[in-house]
Amino acid sequence: MTNAYQLDRIKVFYQQTCALDLPHLIIPNQQCVALLGDNGAGKSTLLNLLAFLNPPSKGQIKLSGQKIKSTLSPEQRRSIGYVNQQPFLLTGSVSDNIELALKLQGIPASQRPQRIADALRQVNLSHLAKQRASTLSGGELKRAAIARAIAHDPAILLLDEPFSHLDQNHIQQLETVIEQLAAQKDKTIVFSTHDRLQGAALADTTINLIKGRVTKSPLLNVFHGQLNQHLFDTGNIKIHTTSQQHASHIAIDPNEIIISNSELSSSMRNHFTGRLTAVAEEAGTIHLTIDCGERFYAIISPEALDELDLSIGKSVCLSFKSTAVSIF
Amino acid sequence: MSYFADSLSAAVELITSFDPALYDVVFNSVSISFIAAAIASVLAIPAGIVMALNQFIGKQLIQHTLNTLMAMPTVLIGLLLYGLLSRLGPLGHLELLYTPSAIIIAEAILIFPIMMNLAIAAVTAADPRLVPTLISLGAKSTTLTIQVAKQTRFIMLAAIITGFGRAIGEVGAAMMVGGNIEGYTRTMTTAIALETSKGEFEVGLAIGLLLLLIAFLVNFILSCLQREKA
Repeated sequence: MTNAYQLDRIKVFYQQTCALDLPHLIIPNQQCVALLGDNGAGKSTLLNLLAFLNPPSKGQIKLSGQKIKSTLSPEQRRSIGYVNQQPFLLTGSVSDNIELALKLQGIPASQRPQRIADALRQVNLSHLAKQRASTLSGGELKRAAIARAIAHDPAILLLDEPFSHLDQNHIQQLETVIEQLAAQKDKTIVFSTHDRLQGAALADTTINLIKGRVTKSPLLNVFHGQLNQHLFDTGNIKIHTTSQQHASHIAIDPNEIIISNSELSSSMRNHFTGRLTAVAEEAGTIHLTIDCGERFYAIISPEALDELDLSIGKSVCLSFKSTAVSIF
Repeated sequence: MSYFADSLSAAVELITSFDPALYDVVFNSVSISFIAAAIASVLAIPAGIVMALNQFIGKQLIQHTLNTLMAMPTVLIGLLLYGLLSRLGPLGHLELLYTPSAIIIAEAILIFPIMMNLAIAAVTAADPRLVPTLISLGAKSTTLTIQVAKQTRFIMLAAIITGFGRAIGEVGAAMMVGGNIEGYTRTMTTAIALETSKGEFEVGLAIGLLLLLIAFLVNFILSCLQREKA
């Protein structure tokens, strides 16, 4: 099966700063993909590339197996629906906005009313069809923008931070919309979020971005600093690694971190003592936040939590091998 | 003071008596300026939008040229156009000199850079998400220009009205290429100049008051549009 996107040797520069550096990235067809990362990680830059709104400074993008040189053909443009982080609705009603999108996509006038009704039904916004776009609330505006993006039935839907600046009620409504869209097997959906759990829950695949680079490390326990002689200095603590290569970021898988009430005597090279600041249950596992000068996240079982008798504020030791440290 | 008050009273009488000769000048002036504004807007607004939407070599030079043309004395435009349209000029065979068409051309040239600059400013000042949104919805070149014009229509209308206001107040070029021929190429501004030089101050004042009224109406419409946009 052809991939929805294939990106090779992509670099995007904003003035002198490299905002995105992707040697090779594939976005599979008919999957729901979450782009995860903090602010400034390059999620919006990548989505703008995928929507062909901005060209890369270097590199090549293939859309459904076809190399794109400068502009998209009308058919290629029709295959993509894009919703900005802060969607911009044009003047007029919600229906007017969708009608214009269908007109620009070359959909015959006779088909438009039905398509508008279908799109609004999918996002549960039929009752606001005639409402002026400028009077919509934040959540309604995002759903109206999604309706506008899906009305012409694109194969690929790109959503930039669809959940940002929304209350819990609107987030749930939008999650349902995305789940329903993702359930349509012919759709490829790429959305960005800084909420790792939300991304993992909704998507088939996640792509982690840090400072414009894709990393396989989960976006937890990511530290910035300098590596010197196997020792990574964050400014607050020093972490043993196995690498000597130049790196400014490291990440430690939370599953690789061992928690104990006292320092362990073992082959592990990294031992820190800190204070337990948060305990949360997620999908049957316990997530601990420990402040050791840097904030560490660790995952343990509920049984381990009981055995260790952990409570907020308690002093705990954490240990991990130098091989558990990913460098990038 | 009595002279001014008497003249003002005579001017108001002329206006309220609906003197045909006076209103003929007003109609002539408004129609010439309206056609000039229409022609200039058809050319300047799409050109301004296209220029604002695209990056190309020479864009800065065009921008500087537009700014220079905005500051160009109208008499100079009249002089150049006179040279082109006079019997011995390269466009003399068109026999446009001393016709309303010549004034329309002069006024259109005069207000073209103003309208184009305002159109560029309108697109530049528009919401930065407008163009990416339209592109993502499938707009390309011509449709993009049309949609940007539609979305910024209040500012574009303001640009047209500003151009019309500038055209109707023009005197130098209109005098040079129009010739101020009564009932044919006489406009409000050229009539004011002529009547004042003849000592018919009250007639000049009456036309001046009507010109002021038109300027007021133009600005009133402009502020209504800005309120609507807000």
